[in-house]
Amino acid sequence: MGNPALRAVPREEVPLDVAYRVERFLSLEARVLDEERYADWLALLTEDVSYRMPIPRNTKRKNRPGTTSLGGDGLIYDETLPTLRQRALREDTGLVWLNDPPTHHVRLITNVETFVGDAPSTYDVRSKFMLFRARRDRDRVSHVGWREDILRETSAGLRIAARTVYLPERVITDKNLNTFF
Amino acid sequence: MSKFDYSDLVNAKDALQTRSIFWDPAIYQEELKQIFNRCWLFLAHESQIPEPGDFIRTYMGEDDVIVVRGQDKKVRAFLNACMHRGNKVCQAEWGQTKAFTCSYHGWSYDTSGRLAAVPLEKDIYDNLDRSRFGLAPVARVENYKGLIFGTFAKEGPSLAEYLGDVSWYLDVLLEASPGGLELIGTPYRVEVPGNWKLPVENAIGDGYHVTWAHAGAMRVVGTLATGRSEQVLGIGAENSGVDLSGAIEINVPPHTVLSSLDGRSGYALYDHPEKVLEYVEQNRPDVIKRLGELRGRSLYGSETHIGIFPNLQVIQGLNFLRIIHPRGPGAFEVWTFAMVDKNMPAAVKEVIEKNVRATFGPAGLLEGDDGDFTEAITHSASGYATRQLKGWLGMGQGRRVPWDGPGEASPGLVNELCQRSFYEQWQRTMSAASVLDILPPKAATATELAAEPVREVVNG
Repeated sequence: MGNPALRAVPREEVPLDVAYRVERFLSLEARVLDEERYADWLALLTEDVSYRMPIPRNTKRKNRPGTTSLGGDGLIYDETLPTLRQRALREDTGLVWLNDPPTHHVRLITNVETFVGDAPSTYDVRSKFMLFRARRDRDRVSHVGWREDILRETSAGLRIAARTVYLPERVITDKNLNTFF
Repeated sequence: MSKFDYSDLVNAKDALQTRSIFWDPAIYQEELKQIFNRCWLFLAHESQIPEPGDFIRTYMGEDDVIVVRGQDKKVRAFLNACMHRGNKVCQAEWGQTKAFTCSYHGWSYDTSGRLAAVPLEKDIYDNLDRSRFGLAPVARVENYKGLIFGTFAKEGPSLAEYLGDVSWYLDVLLEASPGGLELIGTPYRVEVPGNWKLPVENAIGDGYHVTWAHAGAMRVVGTLATGRSEQVLGIGAENSGVDLSGAIEINVPPHTVLSSLDGRSGYALYDHPEKVLEYVEQNRPDVIKRLGELRGRSLYGSETHIGIFPNLQVIQGLNFLRIIHPRGPGAFEVWTFAMVDKNMPAAVKEVIEKNVRATFGPAGLLEGDDGDFTEAITHSASGYATRQLKGWLGMGQGRRVPWDGPGEASPGLVNELCQRSFYEQWQRTMSAASVLDILPPKAATATELAAEPVREVVNG
């Protein structure tokens, strides 16, 4: 098995107003994160949110799996609301020295495609991102990838019910990935 | 004559290390030759390549190496370089194959390294002697209870001799369960701008930094705010004090061990340790039967960090195996594998894999905190005045504590014994003219032992 398989892209597009709301929502979310407003960000997630980042693998396209202990569900993030809250709490302790002086984040979200989701009142949203991080005198890191989100309509508005982040970097060349994509 | 004055670069008596050893490109080139080309280096665990044709790629120093189980089931290792022009013959990081074929001209090698096929051979060569062009083998490949190591040195200590007394500690992991150890999942790979020695000695010995450098994470891991994570180190809440009794750091040259010795705190950083602790207690009577009281009660289940010189860390409790590959003097690549007992129930393996991800994966709550200081210690030494400075690892120097296992022990996990030992071994290996001299002399090791009688050493 090579890269984790993408789910098939659904066919049914949403009405224009929904597509517009979804794009606005993703831009808002990116800004909230850039502004380090983690409590506000957590409020944009559903209670049952799933947040995952699989690891891309450099194995042959036709690799035979065999009985090696390697492989399986290689994940960098495999989070639920409590563990995302734990990560946010860590950032807010004031004791994370590597973010003081702060790490500056800029999130660009683009190529947003919104489809009707499998479950009622959900949308299957595909997007591309660039996450730029700048810190200290000249630390500059850009991470580019794509995301598959399930957004759910709730009484409070759109909420993220699931996110899978695809970061196509086998070797992470960043001192940490303690951030939200 | 050595190229460098190693007695000055590492001053063992005063526990000083000159900062240039982290920065100087010439010293780094010498490390590749004296250390990485001569020491036994960890290659793979046999669970990763169980069947004929299974291979993984790894590095020995900066040398790209293929480790493969041949059709005869024997494990061999080769430089990943076509013997025609030098292109890599394998770009995949693991898999199962019958052959490694170069993408340049199509020369193809079988899993025992023989040159098996050359395109157009009969038309373009007159009696090509293919036996001259097998892949360049790693000189020796040996297996210690599932851990496969290799060395480029044709002569010198065997793997068993090289491991020496540290195998007594390794056995706690390798023999705790009849099925032995297994490395699972997809290894994490992260490249960090710092010298390779810094993450090595940090992981094998630096208990001091944990509650300070990782202060933010320590507040939120180990079931929120119960303080269990600090207790592992004997450090009181908010760095209020430290209790050095109980836990120890041990010098088993050329390797090191630290352990909490309480038989359970290895899992203290877990948010949900219950299933693992239950498994440990279920197994303990068996482990005591197999390995004796001392190892079964004090080491099994403890947070134990075993440092195998130069660049392997086997960490029980947090339960990961880690290799630090050098990438030039100013960068290293960390490989982190979740480590479990093969016979563990799947649910227990899952708890461990999740915890490795949450703590020391690329996005781990603790992992990211160390990057800044490894970078600063390394790269600030580009300043001429700065690299004349020396780092100091004098903590706990001269303090001894009786210990019935092999090696010389010093009290507490907030201690710098293991780090001192690492730099002394670095100095010894760098200055050894012959590979026969890379290990500490037996007699010297014996005199360093505590005055306690040395107990029986079981080396399986």
